[in-house]
Amino acid sequence: MDGIDIGSLVRDDAIHQSVYTDPKIFDLEVERIFRRVWIYIGHESEVKEPGDFQSLDLFGQPIVMVRQRDQSIKVLFNRCGHRGAKVVNEPCGNAHTFRCCYHGWAFKLDGALAGVPQREDYPADVDLDDPARGMPSLPRVANYRGFVFASFSPTGQSLAEWLGPATMGIDELIACSPEEKIDLSGGVHRYRYRGNWKHQFENLADTYHPNAAHDSTVDEDGMQFKRRPGSTGGRAPFYDKDGMPLVSKIGVWAFPNGHTSEGSMFSSVSQTGGVWEEYRAALAARHGAEKADDILKQKRHSLTIYPSVDILIAQHAVRIVRPIAADLTEVLVYPVRMVGAPPQVFRDIVKYLNITHSAGSFVQTDDLEAFRRCQIGQSAEGSPWCLIARGHRSDVTDNNGVMHGDRASEIGQRNQHKVWLSLMNVR
Amino acid sequence: MDFKAPDLRAVEAFLYEEVRLLDDREFEKWSDLFTDDGIYWVPAKPDQKDPYDHVSLFFDDKEIRETRIKRLRHPKIHVQIPHSRTIHLVSNVTILEKGLAPADFVTRSNFIMMEDRLGDERRIYGGRYTHHLRVVDGAVRMIQKRVDLTDCDGIYPALTLPF
Repeated sequence: MDGIDIGSLVRDDAIHQSVYTDPKIFDLEVERIFRRVWIYIGHESEVKEPGDFQSLDLFGQPIVMVRQRDQSIKVLFNRCGHRGAKVVNEPCGNAHTFRCCYHGWAFKLDGALAGVPQREDYPADVDLDDPARGMPSLPRVANYRGFVFASFSPTGQSLAEWLGPATMGIDELIACSPEEKIDLSGGVHRYRYRGNWKHQFENLADTYHPNAAHDSTVDEDGMQFKRRPGSTGGRAPFYDKDGMPLVSKIGVWAFPNGHTSEGSMFSSVSQTGGVWEEYRAALAARHGAEKADDILKQKRHSLTIYPSVDILIAQHAVRIVRPIAADLTEVLVYPVRMVGAPPQVFRDIVKYLNITHSAGSFVQTDDLEAFRRCQIGQSAEGSPWCLIARGHRSDVTDNNGVMHGDRASEIGQRNQHKVWLSLMNVR
Repeated sequence: MDFKAPDLRAVEAFLYEEVRLLDDREFEKWSDLFTDDGIYWVPAKPDQKDPYDHVSLFFDDKEIRETRIKRLRHPKIHVQIPHSRTIHLVSNVTILEKGLAPADFVTRSNFIMMEDRLGDERRIYGGRYTHHLRVVDGAVRMIQKRVDLTDCDGIYPALTLPF
């Protein structure tokens, strides 16, 4: 890019702050990252019946995800092939066909042009059957176990290649359902902040911040507010005996292509008590008692799929991160219903997600303030580098090319910025 | 109909006092206006019927409400350093119906809340309050305060103070 040497902005253990603040770099990210790799669009349970649609906005472009009559799911550009008006204006719903408000052009569920008012007046050399007159599909759409992804690029890694071993996060979430089926119809928390999308992404692999950032969620006795249901979900100790927050010891994993994962604070204890016993029995009926116990231990807090979605395994939720501008980001958080689990389990998930992941939650508000202050602070001259050095050179490589860092390592941030640099370097 | 509507002016006085406690940061006294099983509810979709199987911006029982207020008093609540200043305006008050018990009644009103925090963008919220009220020992208490924001399904910045 003219005037910017991308390679000079990312070091092994530090990032130049202009990658968060420079609008030119944001435009380049849209071109070289978001319009090339696989982006999470939505879950198949959001469009259950033929004609069900969800509209969304990706990097300034209106998009619509539609369930087809053959049960497949298409992801279309939400644009009329006549004069370019946005066709679908509702956030979600069910349609037989889509009809443009302006001149009444109609489109089938797959985006093909279905009807043109006063068609006979078009000259013979105008080909109204050209697919360009319809609502085109995004170049590539793929589905991993109900999670629908799309790419604006016709070429590149397959979804399976892009996800690699990170699919285990989706697998672990789905395994929480006694029917191995999940449903995202419980609404969505939406929040935004005046900060860069990478602030949120880095935070999803950050076990170093809770001590300072979330101090106000910890009582004088060192116990944190009740945030999980079940007998093991009451107020929980925040600090280990050595004074380090327990969350800083859960470990971070770095997957190929920038995906990351955090361990769970609850990895050794299954959730028990009340309705969780009924839930455990349902899981055991499907998987056997040993695996049911293992699932309920929730060994992973989350698995974050670069650069668009976070699978919250311990809290049973899916979080989408949508960059709007260098200094504006939107986040959507959906509670996940585990089909076959007792209804109260989902109600508990909704209840606790309200206080941990809504715009008004006890936890996100702290993080949003940190992102806002990063965006402001990173405009200050003097020392333009941001450090991501914790644990550098002590990372351990597991099998599958997955690396592990302990004690609030910044391995996750290093992993994200490594793939950021490799994507941004390709013209 | 044997329901004897309470005096409208008395109801308005209660609603003004309720939001004054918020504007004056007397959060504990505000929380005390709720009955023990009282709920502060801000739905996340229009006409939301169900707070249990669908997310809400706030669905606070006493325990959650008190945790929230305790946090608002915490010296390290970064998102409120400095803290916001608010004003709530309440108007168009009507008494809708009697409630489930003889001493219960429901009011509807419109509100606008303005929030300013140094260094942050000014925020204007608006919508409808539905108060489920009960007279307990001569004092009005809230069984539920429901806040239907006009943009309840919109995208919010960090929310910390009650509407």
